[in-house]
Amino acid sequence: MNTGGGAMAIARKEGYRTGLVDMAAGQISREIFVNEEIYQQELERLFARVWLFVGHESQIPNPGDYFVSGMGEESVILCRDRAGKVHVFLNSCRHRGMKVCRYDEGSTPVFTCPYHGWSYGTDGKLAGVPYFKEAYHSQLDKSRWGLIEVPQLCLYKSTVWASWDPPAPPFLEYLGDFTRYLDLTLDSWDGREGGTEILSGIQKWRIPCNWKFPAENFCGDSYHNISHRSVDLVGIGPSGSGRRDMQERLMARRLHVAFYERGHQTGVYLMPKDRPMPPSYQHSSVVSEYFAHCEEARRRSRGEWARVIGSPGEIFPNTALHPRQPRTIAVWHPRGPHQTEVWRWYMVDKAAPPEVKDFLRDYIRYSGPAGMTEQDDMENWNYAHAASRGTIARRYPYSYEQGLGFEVENYEWQGLRMPGTVMDITEAKSSEHNLRNLYRRWAEFMEAESWDELATWRIAQAAE
Amino acid sequence: MTEPINVRLLAAGTRIVLDDGAVAEVVSNPLDGVWVFARYLSSPDDPTRVGSEEMIFAQDIVEIRDTA
Repeated sequence: MNTGGGAMAIARKEGYRTGLVDMAAGQISREIFVNEEIYQQELERLFARVWLFVGHESQIPNPGDYFVSGMGEESVILCRDRAGKVHVFLNSCRHRGMKVCRYDEGSTPVFTCPYHGWSYGTDGKLAGVPYFKEAYHSQLDKSRWGLIEVPQLCLYKSTVWASWDPPAPPFLEYLGDFTRYLDLTLDSWDGREGGTEILSGIQKWRIPCNWKFPAENFCGDSYHNISHRSVDLVGIGPSGSGRRDMQERLMARRLHVAFYERGHQTGVYLMPKDRPMPPSYQHSSVVSEYFAHCEEARRRSRGEWARVIGSPGEIFPNTALHPRQPRTIAVWHPRGPHQTEVWRWYMVDKAAPPEVKDFLRDYIRYSGPAGMTEQDDMENWNYAHAASRGTIARRYPYSYEQGLGFEVENYEWQGLRMPGTVMDITEAKSSEHNLRNLYRRWAEFMEAESWDELATWRIAQAAE
Repeated sequence: MTEPINVRLLAAGTRIVLDDGAVAEVVSNPLDGVWVFARYLSSPDDPTRVGSEEMIFAQDIVEIRDTA
């Protein structure tokens, strides 16, 4: 294990896979969480190349609507132009870099820089330049100085994703078969394609830890559940006991699913064949009946795949999925090696009755900085990060050995084969299979010079 | 020197005088405190601008001729 070669590894742009991240041994150096130079490399080699979650179309329903989001450390504007087209722009004036939008969201015909007054249309074109005739003698080529737009944008089931890297594979290719697991968050409860909307506002808060602490936690770290014991005891679940309505976990196979070539991973519950879902949300008959109706409809429309129940997961590298209620998407924005800014979106079926939306809005209090479990998590990440920064602490790697070597390809149970490489933790209770997958892919990105090295699935496809 | 004009208060229909002597009518106001959209009613320096719509910079507006 290379415990002290962080700086050398960065200079060579190698040594991530063979030293700092040692998957054969299941060990990872603390340097990747606390080293300033590694963090700077991450911004360039990771966040400037991957696909990132930007927002939801329901946040910008009308022409002129905008929502200020983030990609890596940088502020971006998600907006709908006058013609209805969705754009994502860097929130920085082309003249001197000032933010052209300093509100969180709203509607506007133009984005005007308050510094010198350059003004841009919602299509990003430079529209207004003070003293254009007098000072520029009408010679400034406005067409060259529009807002910087992401080269790749994808609208998928109302969610908006973007990448700064022109050669990156299209979003759905980036996902691969993991799309089916993402759909567990984005499809309606009754099995219809898409149909979600954002419920209430976006929660935003900062945690003094590296962004990879929450990222690995939401990959499927079921080992830390002891941290939430106090919440279990309180019994805030929507049927009046436990944390959530999770009676299915008593009868389902519990799986960790990872996609080695993509870096995405999730937990899932795989229900037995022909067994009905247990009732849920029994504090409210309207909500309980709604979910019972949806489960029946989903079984009819999705067949065997309806046996798959979502659990926390992650789109590589920093978009967390929480398909069950509270149904959320979270982004772990890097804010330096020692700080993370969390943004959490809450989603609900657009077609759900108002009573159901109101009930689920109340249940949001489960998550977020003022919630229950997230407070436990933040305390863990905060202190773990701080205790890993010291000169002595950095010499000792973390252990990721749990379940190493027990992964299964082509996993199948009662007639349903699961996409991805699977660790069945029903009896094992926990594994670090998904966490290893996150760091395996992270190390590949940190070393790879191009997508020729990263899009390895294309090699296999070309050979077929 | 004229007093600065708060362009955020200029409603559609307001007639404004620009520093080159042109007169324009506000069409819409983005309320950014920097620009208004206006249509030229007269333009002694460049008569071809009359009838056209442009973004007018706040510091080019020297007088409010009449309000909407």
